[in-house]
Amino acid sequence: MKLLVAVKRVAALDEDFEIRADGRDVHADFLLRDLNEWDDYSLEEAMKIKEAGAAPVEVVVVCVAAEEADESLRKCLAKGADRAIRVWDEAIEGSDSIAVARLLAAVARREKPDMLFAGVQSSDHAFASTGIATAAFLDWPHAAVLTHLAYTAGGKSAVFRRELEGGVLHEMQIECPAVLTIQLGINTPRYASLRSIKQAAAKPIEVLSLEDLNVAPGHVGERGSLSRVRRMYVPDKGRAEMIEGSVEEQAARLAHIIRELAGSAS
Amino acid sequence: MTRDPTAVTRVLFEDFAPAAIAAFYVIAFAAVTVFCFGVYVEVRKYRRGSAADMDGRLLARLQAMIGTVLSHRTIAHRDRAAGAAHRLIFYGFVLLFLGTATITLDYDILGPLFGVHFWQGAFYLWFSLVLDVAGVLLTGGLLYMMYRRGWLKPPKLDYARPDRQPGDADYDRSGYRREDWAFLWTLLVIVATGYLLEAARLVWLEATPDVWAYRWWSPAGAALAEGLRAAGMSAASGGVLRTGLWWFHGLLALLFIALIPFTKVKHILTAAGSLMLRDPLAAQRLPRVPEQQQRAGAQYITDFSWKQLLSLDACTKCGRCHEVCPARAVGAPLSPRDVILSLREFANRTLESATLPAQAELDVHGKGPGQVTMETLWSCRTCMACVEVCPVAIEHVPVIVQMRRQLVEAGQMDPQLKKTLQTIHKTGNSFGEGKRKRAAWTKALPFAVKDARKEPVDVLWFVGDYASFDPRNQKVTQGLAWLLQEAGVDFGILYEGESNAGNDVRRVGEEGLYEVLATSNIESLSAASFKTIVTTDPHSYNTIRNEYPDFGGRYEIEHYTTLLLRLLQEGRLRIAHPLGLRVTFHDPCHLGRFNKGYDAPREILRLLGCELIEMGRCRANSFCCGAGGGRIWMPDPVGLDRPAHNRMREAAAIPGLQVYVVSCPKDLTMFEDALKATGNEGRFVVRELIELVREARGQRQADRQ
Repeated sequence: MKLLVAVKRVAALDEDFEIRADGRDVHADFLLRDLNEWDDYSLEEAMKIKEAGAAPVEVVVVCVAAEEADESLRKCLAKGADRAIRVWDEAIEGSDSIAVARLLAAVARREKPDMLFAGVQSSDHAFASTGIATAAFLDWPHAAVLTHLAYTAGGKSAVFRRELEGGVLHEMQIECPAVLTIQLGINTPRYASLRSIKQAAAKPIEVLSLEDLNVAPGHVGERGSLSRVRRMYVPDKGRAEMIEGSVEEQAARLAHIIRELAGSAS
Repeated sequence: MTRDPTAVTRVLFEDFAPAAIAAFYVIAFAAVTVFCFGVYVEVRKYRRGSAADMDGRLLARLQAMIGTVLSHRTIAHRDRAAGAAHRLIFYGFVLLFLGTATITLDYDILGPLFGVHFWQGAFYLWFSLVLDVAGVLLTGGLLYMMYRRGWLKPPKLDYARPDRQPGDADYDRSGYRREDWAFLWTLLVIVATGYLLEAARLVWLEATPDVWAYRWWSPAGAALAEGLRAAGMSAASGGVLRTGLWWFHGLLALLFIALIPFTKVKHILTAAGSLMLRDPLAAQRLPRVPEQQQRAGAQYITDFSWKQLLSLDACTKCGRCHEVCPARAVGAPLSPRDVILSLREFANRTLESATLPAQAELDVHGKGPGQVTMETLWSCRTCMACVEVCPVAIEHVPVIVQMRRQLVEAGQMDPQLKKTLQTIHKTGNSFGEGKRKRAAWTKALPFAVKDARKEPVDVLWFVGDYASFDPRNQKVTQGLAWLLQEAGVDFGILYEGESNAGNDVRRVGEEGLYEVLATSNIESLSAASFKTIVTTDPHSYNTIRNEYPDFGGRYEIEHYTTLLLRLLQEGRLRIAHPLGLRVTFHDPCHLGRFNKGYDAPREILRLLGCELIEMGRCRANSFCCGAGGGRIWMPDPVGLDRPAHNRMREAAAIPGLQVYVVSCPKDLTMFEDALKATGNEGRFVVRELIELVREARGQRQADRQ
């Protein structure tokens, strides 16, 4: 049996970043790249099922990204994934989460996994839509924000829990194949030592093109997306002031500020 | 009266029936055979270890070992009484052993082969005297050791294990205690029966002038013989006693020899071997993982090198490492001694059999008998106190780090440590700050700090993580920049070209990450043009000095203390106001014990006009702050004491102490916390030496208080 885990290489902001000249993203020089935190948990969940050993399981990670993402895929391979697939074509640049989901669904049709895991969301863009949109393209059942999963390799269905408001737990059963999005904290992701990452370099990363997946260039990238970034910017800072000094001084300063603001409002 | 000098000797097997002599030789050969078999089993055990990375300087190593053994330097180190007593036992035993060997040479080799006999006349008499004295030395040493074990009872000899609970299969160490006593008593009985035997022979042969006239050449035996005669013993009963004692003494001695490889007595061989194989940089320069090596570290007992397996057998349970270990001192489940003894017991159980057990039975990690738990391994600060104090050159730190390497591979570590390692991999520093922020501390300076990547400098300052990012330490870092600027030193830093030096990453056991960090720093350093490197961080200092050469980075590096001392001595920095403070100095492990940088900071304190009061544990015996070996990235267990608190209490006992001086960024962090936690805030302060230099120059930092 097979588990497909969709992962993303996300960006984090470096100190004193700059916005790109076109105003639609942060300049790449100021981004630190790493595997999306949620994906550590979904990969771990897949590895747990594999290692439980109920049936032979192949864990395949898939990522829609350019070549730099190989580093993150190798980290997944180091943690024990059997294979890695990277989907890329110049035309994919600018895809929104729905276009990415279209590609992931194409990979799923090709790989025919028993289950597809994705993180609840990515830490950089946080749409929380890729996993669920993939299920929609596949017309598979799906569930989001899992905090517990009981699934035995080879099973026809899985039982999982989600947290609802007020501490209420939602226990559900889902038929396979299904798409599940995994929440942080569902497990304790393992550590990929640098040695294991280095050794994982020997494992091949399969690169798939749009032709391989039978996806037309017009269905990805900005043309294939239903949303596009207009601009990215840092809003003007609001006013904040640290009040220091003795309690009396602080109270006096606070009173002064309140009077000032009240005055300006009236 | 002149006698034939050849008659002045001891007639061996005098009056023995040929069958008795034959029986003795059979038994003696049997004993030697058992001994040889035991040695074979042990050698086979060591050979089941992996290859050892050895240099070929065998002769130099042999010389150094003999020097150490003869001087008893390492045994007398910080335990003079035990050293003196052991010296008596050692020299007594060696002389008696050489004596017996001399008789064998004369009687069994030179005599039968060449008809040559030298064990007679004047030589025999001096021989008798020397051996009698040797017996007294041995007895004195043994009696002191019995007094020590029986009455002084130092806690380090009680074998209490911090890493096991009463009831655990291998908690009970009473077997060791019985063996200790059996060892002492056996030797004592052999010596005592030797004297009695000598006395009985004298009584028996009182009518033989060639024996009786020279009896005082064996003063102890002669005195005993006089006593026996005074008690009414006749020559005939002396003869009977002599025969009985002869067999008892002889058989006991042969039993002792036969048992050497099977008991703690084997340390006479293994300790010598361990001392000979000593690596002078065992903790300072950890072993690389060879490219073709299957595992990152030690998972199975056979992953240890034969040299390490041999050194496990050298341990005599003296407990010195147990006593100095900062983890043990605060109640953590680690005693370096018990790690060594556990592994030894494990090796004996698994590697002494004729066939090697299945691999699963060789796993040294776990909670079973002889296994080492991850809690034990993660308690280690790699402070090197154990390695430094071990009299037989056991190298605990590499053993522990090699086992940690497997824990890292398996991800068995504290979550915070895991996170920190990931952070270091991602950002190159343990603070998770962007690379660009590394030199942010320079912005507070009114002068620009040169970018050593862009222009040549004399001194390249490797700043290190704590000194770069920690706000409290940044003030010290800025202070040193001021001092270098004022002294006219041409210096620069690597800005974002610098990464965590990797010293502690390596000691955690994340060797792959260490390689990435070391390689990246070496790349930056190689691209820069400079004469020497300076750093305030003893951890960076150690790894760049001792470990980077293994990765192709050979640099001249010094700790800032030696540079500042030179600047002060050369008059490039002047002291305006002698401080007149009563201070104590904490030796950082990586500066002191690791790299012997004891004197420069003390000399600077003297030049600053400080009165230095040493703590009991200073210099090589300095007590770790608890942050080493990556422990700074792991939370300390709740409810346990902490090494830094232990140390603060030691300092607080100094009457009138004003300043606790440190010279390591991590020390500053650890001890300022400890000062507050132990309620000593307001009584004295913790200061970096750099701050005191600035103060003595009249540059009290406005933001210091």
